[in-house]
Amino acid sequence: MTDRTRISRVVLALLGVAIVVAVWQGMISYYGLQRIVLPTPVEVASTLGGLFVSQSFWHDVLVSLREFVLGYVIGGVLGIVVGTIIGERPAIRMVIGPVIEALRFIVPFAWIPLTVLWFGTSLTGKVVLVAYAVFFVMVVTTARSIATVDPTLSRVGTMLGMRPLAIAFKVHLRAAAPGIASGAKAAAALGWIAVVAAEYIGASAGLGVMITNASMSLATATVIGGMVVIGVIGAVVSWLVGYAARVWLNY
Amino acid sequence: MDTAPYRRLAARSWALPWLLGVAGAVGALLFWTLMAFWLKGGGGVISRLPTPLTVGADLVEYAKGTLWRDLAASLQVFLVGWILGSVGAAAAGLAIGQSKTIGAIFGPIVEALRPVSSIVWVPLAVVWFGFGFTSKVFLVGLAVFLVVIIYAIDGARRIPADLDRTATMLGMTPLQRFRALVLPGALTQVLVGARVALMSGWGTVIVAELVAADYGLGARLIAVQQSYDVAAVMASMVCFGLAGFVMNAIFSRFEHWALPWRFHGGAQ
Amino acid sequence: MPELTTVPKPRTNPSSAPSEGNPEQGLSFERISHAYVAANGRTPVLDNVTFSVMPGQVACVVGPSGCGKSTLLGLAAGFIRPTAGVTRWKGNPVESGANPDLGMAFQQPGLFPWMTVRQNVAVGLTTRGAARGDARRRADEMLATVGLAGFGDAYPNQLSGGMAQRVGIARALALRPKLLLMDEPFASVDAFTRLKLQAEFKALLKLDRPTVLFVTHDVSEAILLGDIIIVMSARPASVEKIIPITREDRDRAGPGYARKMTETLKALGVETDLSHD
Repeated sequence: MTDRTRISRVVLALLGVAIVVAVWQGMISYYGLQRIVLPTPVEVASTLGGLFVSQSFWHDVLVSLREFVLGYVIGGVLGIVVGTIIGERPAIRMVIGPVIEALRFIVPFAWIPLTVLWFGTSLTGKVVLVAYAVFFVMVVTTARSIATVDPTLSRVGTMLGMRPLAIAFKVHLRAAAPGIASGAKAAAALGWIAVVAAEYIGASAGLGVMITNASMSLATATVIGGMVVIGVIGAVVSWLVGYAARVWLNY
Repeated sequence: MDTAPYRRLAARSWALPWLLGVAGAVGALLFWTLMAFWLKGGGGVISRLPTPLTVGADLVEYAKGTLWRDLAASLQVFLVGWILGSVGAAAAGLAIGQSKTIGAIFGPIVEALRPVSSIVWVPLAVVWFGFGFTSKVFLVGLAVFLVVIIYAIDGARRIPADLDRTATMLGMTPLQRFRALVLPGALTQVLVGARVALMSGWGTVIVAELVAADYGLGARLIAVQQSYDVAAVMASMVCFGLAGFVMNAIFSRFEHWALPWRFHGGAQ
Repeated sequence: MPELTTVPKPRTNPSSAPSEGNPEQGLSFERISHAYVAANGRTPVLDNVTFSVMPGQVACVVGPSGCGKSTLLGLAAGFIRPTAGVTRWKGNPVESGANPDLGMAFQQPGLFPWMTVRQNVAVGLTTRGAARGDARRRADEMLATVGLAGFGDAYPNQLSGGMAQRVGIARALALRPKLLLMDEPFASVDAFTRLKLQAEFKALLKLDRPTVLFVTHDVSEAILLGDIIIVMSARPASVEKIIPITREDRDRAGPGYARKMTETLKALGVETDLSHD
C-alpha cells in the first residue's frame, strides 16, 4: 500500500468517526433528546473520566476480570486435555460426540439461571459458567485440530522411535497448536461476554452489575461508558491471546 | 492421525458409530441420574439435581401447557430480529463492499464494533426501549447484523476475476453488472452468514428474555428459576436447545436446496 | 547407540552388488496381499507379492502410479498390517510400532513445522538417546551431504518442496539405519540436483550398507542405484519381474544400461522404440 493510500485510508476512517459523532450530536440537538436517552459525546467522555478515578469502578472491573480469568484458565486447560483425548481416540469421539453436539445447542447463556440457582450470585457461579463456555469451544477446536493433523507426521514420529504418548503430546499437540490457538481466541471473546451476561442477570458485583444499576437509574452516560469499557477489555483480552499465540507459534 | 484401523472397523460395521453414539448418550444420562441420587443427600454446592426423568416429566407438562405460547413468542422476536438484521447487513454490506469511499469511511467503524457482542448493548436497549418487543428485536437484529455484515461485505467485494472480465467483454452496464454478478454473489454470502447468525441470534433472544422477563422461553426460564424449580429450569433449557436444533436443521435443508453448488464434495 | 563423531570405515566388498548374505537377515515379502478398506468398499492394491531383499542390497521398486508401491513401504515399516501374507525383517514378522533399525524418507517430507531444519534432522537421534551436541553435529553433516549446508536454522515453511524433501532424506540417513525405506525421495528435485543427490546417496550407502527399499518412478534412477529392480504390475499389483543390475550396467554409455532399460520398460509395458513414426 502506498503512503498516499494509507493516509487517505486513515483520513476516511477518521471522517467516518467524525460523521458518527456529528450524527450523534446532531440527533440530540435536533430531536432535543434528553440526557437520559442519549447523552452527548462529551458527557460520555467526562463520565468515563469520572469512572476511572472511582474506586468502586475498579473494584467491579477486577471482580469481572477475576471471574473471567479463572474460568478461562480452568475451562481452557480442561478443554485442551479432553479435546486431545477425544482427538487421539476416534472411538471416544464417537461415544462423546453426540452428547457434545446435543449440548452445543444449549448456549452458555441459557445456563445462567441454573448457575444462579446452584451457586447464587457468588464468584463461583460465574467461574463455572465461563469455564463451561470456554471448555466447550476448546474441546471441539482441539479435537478437530488434532484429528486433522497430517498423518505423515504421526508416522514420522513412530519412525523416529517416539512412543505413542510422546507422539500425542510432542507431535500432535504441537501440530494442532495453530488451530487450538484460534480456538483460544474465540473462547476468550465468548468467555468475556458470558461473564458480562451473567452479571446482568444475577450478580452482586462486577461490571455487568454496575451497568445494570446504571440502566435502572437511567444514568445513560454511565451505561454507554460501561459498554465502552467492556468492549475495550474484550478487545484487549482477545489481542493478548492472539499475541501470546503468535509469540509461541513463531514459525 | 492414522485412522486406518478405525476406518477398517467402521467399514466392517457401519452401525458402529451409531452404537457408540447411543452408548455415549445413554451413559451420559445414567451418569446424570447417578449424580442426582448421590447429591440428594445434600452433596455440596449443587444442592438440587433432578433426574433426567423428572426433567422429562416437567418437559411433558410444559408441552401440554404453555410451551407453545412461549415458544411462539420467542420465535416471533427471533424471526423479526433475524430478518431485519440480515436485510440491514445485506444493504450495508453491499454499500461498503461495492463503494470504495463508503467502505473506507464506514468500514473501520464496523470493524471496531463487530467484536462487541450485541449482549453488551442490553442495558442500553433497556434504557432506550424498556422491556419490550422492540428492545428484544433490536438486540437480536443487532447480533445478526454484526455476524452477517462480514459475509455481506465479503460477498459484495469478491467477484471472481474471470466473471468480471466476461462482464466487461460483454459490455455490461454497471447496473446489469450489479444485478448479474454482484447481487447473486452477495446474496449467497448473506444466506450463508444468516445461517451462521442463527445460533448467535437465538442465543441473544434468550439473554434478552432473561433480562426483560416478560414473555417467551427465556422469561419462563427466569420465572422458574426464581421459584427454585430446578427441573423446570432444565426443561426450559432443553426446550431452548431443541428449538435451536430444529431451526438449524430446517435452515440447513433450505441452504442445501437454495445453494446446492456449495455442498458438492461435502466440505463447507 | 550409533557412533556419531567418527567417520566409519567403508566395509570392503569386492563387488558392488552383495550377493552373499543371509536372506534371513534382510527384508522379505511373503505372499503379501493387501486391500484398503473404506466406507465405500475394498480397494485391492497388492496381489500375492513375494520377493526378498538381501541384507545390504538396494531394491528399487518401479511401477505405474497408484500400484501400491508406497503400500509396500508402509508394510515394511510396520505402519500397515497386510490383509494377507507376512512381511519379515531379519526373519521376524514386522510389527507395528517403532523399529530401531528403521529409517524412512516419506513422499510428503513430513517435517515438524515448529522445529528448525537442524532440529528436524537431529530429533530422531536425540529420541534414540544421542547427546544433543553429537546430534547437532551429525545433523549438520547430513545437511551438507544433501546440499543444504547453510539452512540449519531455517524453518520448514521457508523451504521449497524439493528442499524439504532433502531434509527428510537427511533425517532418515542421519539415523544410520539398517533398513532404509525411501518413497520417491528425489521426485520433487530438479534434474541436476537429482543427479548430484544420486551420486551422494550411492556414496553414503557404501558406508553402512543398509538394506534399502527404494520406490521410484524413474527407471534410469533405478538402474543407477539399485542392485535389483522390482517391476510391479498395475493395481492390484503383483511382481511383474525382478531384474538384477550389475556394476557394468550403471555405465550410461555402456550396452548393459540400454539392455536393462529396455528390459525394465518392456516389463512395464512401455513402448521402447519411438523411432518409427
